[in-house]
Amino acid sequence: MRNTITRFYLSVLFIFGVITIGYSQTEPALSWTQYRGQNRAGASAEKLTEKDWVNSKPEMLWKKNIGSGFSELIISEGVIYTMFSEKIDSLSGFEYLAAFDEKTGNEIWRAQVDSIYIEIDGWGDGPRSTPTIDAEYIYSFSGLGKFSARTKKDGKLIWEHDFVKEYGSTRPRWGYACSPILIENKVIMEIGGTDGKTFMAFDKSNGNIVWNNGVGPAGYNSPLMMSVEGQNQFIFVNGKDISSYNLQGDTLWTYQLPFAIPIAMPVLIGSNKLFFSQITSGFVIIQVESNKATEVLRGGEMKNDFMTCVYHDGYIYGYHIAALRCISAETGEVKWSKRGFGKGSLILVDGKLIILSDKGKLAIAKASPDAYQELGTVQSIEGSITWTAPSFTDGKVYVRNQTEMACIKLN
Amino acid sequence: MAMAANAQNVDDIISKHIQAHGGAEKWNAIKTMEINGRFTAFSEENEWYAIKTSSGAYYSDLQIGQYKVKEAFNGTSGWTIDPWHEFTFPRLLNKVEDNVFHQKAEFFSPFYKYKEKEMKVEYVDEENIDGVDTYVLKLIKSNGLIETWYLNKTTYLEVKSISDWVDFGMRVSAESYFDDFREVDGLIIPFFTERMFGQRDRILIIENIKLNASVDESIFEMPKSNEMQKLAFLAGNWNVKVEIPGRNNTWRVADQTTSNAQFIATNNLQQNISVSEYYVQSMIINYSFYKDRNKYRLTIYNGFSSSTDLYEGAFIDGVFTADNTSVKYIDAESNAALLQLSIYNITSDAFMMEIKSSDDKGVTWKPSYKLSYSKK
Repeated sequence: MRNTITRFYLSVLFIFGVITIGYSQTEPALSWTQYRGQNRAGASAEKLTEKDWVNSKPEMLWKKNIGSGFSELIISEGVIYTMFSEKIDSLSGFEYLAAFDEKTGNEIWRAQVDSIYIEIDGWGDGPRSTPTIDAEYIYSFSGLGKFSARTKKDGKLIWEHDFVKEYGSTRPRWGYACSPILIENKVIMEIGGTDGKTFMAFDKSNGNIVWNNGVGPAGYNSPLMMSVEGQNQFIFVNGKDISSYNLQGDTLWTYQLPFAIPIAMPVLIGSNKLFFSQITSGFVIIQVESNKATEVLRGGEMKNDFMTCVYHDGYIYGYHIAALRCISAETGEVKWSKRGFGKGSLILVDGKLIILSDKGKLAIAKASPDAYQELGTVQSIEGSITWTAPSFTDGKVYVRNQTEMACIKLN
Repeated sequence: MAMAANAQNVDDIISKHIQAHGGAEKWNAIKTMEINGRFTAFSEENEWYAIKTSSGAYYSDLQIGQYKVKEAFNGTSGWTIDPWHEFTFPRLLNKVEDNVFHQKAEFFSPFYKYKEKEMKVEYVDEENIDGVDTYVLKLIKSNGLIETWYLNKTTYLEVKSISDWVDFGMRVSAESYFDDFREVDGLIIPFFTERMFGQRDRILIIENIKLNASVDESIFEMPKSNEMQKLAFLAGNWNVKVEIPGRNNTWRVADQTTSNAQFIATNNLQQNISVSEYYVQSMIINYSFYKDRNKYRLTIYNGFSSSTDLYEGAFIDGVFTADNTSVKYIDAESNAALLQLSIYNITSDAFMMEIKSSDDKGVTWKPSYKLSYSKK
């Protein structure tokens, strides 16, 4: 009944043009305001002027030191927001949310958000999640499970939830990693709590619970928004289970993956297909019709570890273990493989791949199934464990790893 | 006819492959290869040191994250100390790992002297690997395991191989890629190897190779754990004066005997001693270290009572002390006599051992024996 009412309500909104661009979040022009950018596609709609980047290297505008963390750099209205950590000694330290001047990389403010999450094997301490911003607030999630809203202006705390203490969540082995997503007046998260609190929506203005649903512990994935047949829905990955919820938190459909705990985000193909990939098993593509998910393709040609693919014109580009690959989204056929980027990352800008190696080498290549066609490279940041994907806005690429962040001009 | 053509093709391809690497004659003169380079694991690059020998031995010393990993193979068996896998002590390699270390020990590819190694090779096909046309060869090893090798059709150097590898002790398939071939004293060696297995990506980059460097063969021997090295002073043949408590807090000599102690396994030292005091008390003491409790564990077999008891102990301020008070039996109270063994005044040719007993569950201890060891 609730579904029916919701569908009716949404239909009315649709007819009257309130929702004019499907599920797209409204983002200011020239911005990258959340994990993987607009619609979490790992892509920018901006134009990227093709240049001779081979003979004329992309220009490094600035480079700064930054503490350990995996949060992407999000950019809006001349300010960069991200998270990082600083150790006091080998066993303690703090995680911070901070704002930086986009033109210089200089720190504007920082807010201490939690104690530091220390990765015992040494593969990078600190936050894993990427903050999300709206007009007024910034929503961040620490590696130890504190979720908060703060003002963009100065980082002042508005509200906060501790997922462990309040909802009985158990921290995953590699730390909490979910990146919040905003829709209407809600901010949505995977909590991994008990009593149906695996996924929750909070009122973004005051942190009050709007709805909760699902069963399962916290993993490493983040929710995706999509719209199928006019139905806006969140896609959550938890263990082997895929769940789709409408904006009111009602279950629309579920699906069980042939593998468990994918870390890479689902990738939207067209309007109603979703690509999931996992490191040991490969990938599966499902199609959603009439609130039912059906497998349409499965293969071992793309095994994503923690880095998510991008989709462009019928092809999927991403990291098969540690080889950059292009595969057909129709057949799974491998069109080309290119090693040399390790377990790097990539985004898509104007039909070009912006590739960042796990050792900080930035490359620009055509997103074409014909062959890997490199247009230029530059060593952007030094140091290892560069596992954070680039961000792109206003013709500039923003990158970070465990020790450095930098801004490189492409346009 | 086709088989013969393929067999001819295989011999020809392998001959050109060996020649491309500098030729068998030059490689026959190589006894050892000492490598300094970089090793990348989990996207983090660190130092890597390795030794290979013509007898198939391999040693390497590398860093994974914050952990120092050592591994060695003598051509037949090997060991590793791998804190990243939570093995802070040396452990033997399993059979899957033995196969991996045979591969690691190859100077370049297994085709060098492959017939002597009782391997067989079959021609499979041609294939393009990342834009390079290759001959595909199937290598059947003497143990039946199969590897697939892709040799550049133009240069005859290896481009890729598929072989069994290991992750957490379990067999996985690996794809290895070879690149950056450089000449070292007339030998052509890949200075870049990237290997993907399971979810792992490992990169080996050679920075420097020293050929025929002298190698201390002991580097391939499985080392004792740090903890057992502290007990190494016990090894040897000893004269032992045995004393028992006399009147007025004095000691009186009860026996003069001998003792022998030696490592019966890498991390197990066994001591034999026989004491005659009224009756013969022959004892076999096995010393080992139990990592999970971070304690030494001793089994003491007493020939007089025909029983074995378990002791647990530690070094504190240069004194080794162990007792059997920690052992609890789930079904009954232990009737074993509570004893404490301590070793002190340790020098290179002497040490003292004292055995005490307790009537109050280890709260207090009374002297029973004092044994003065001096090296024979």
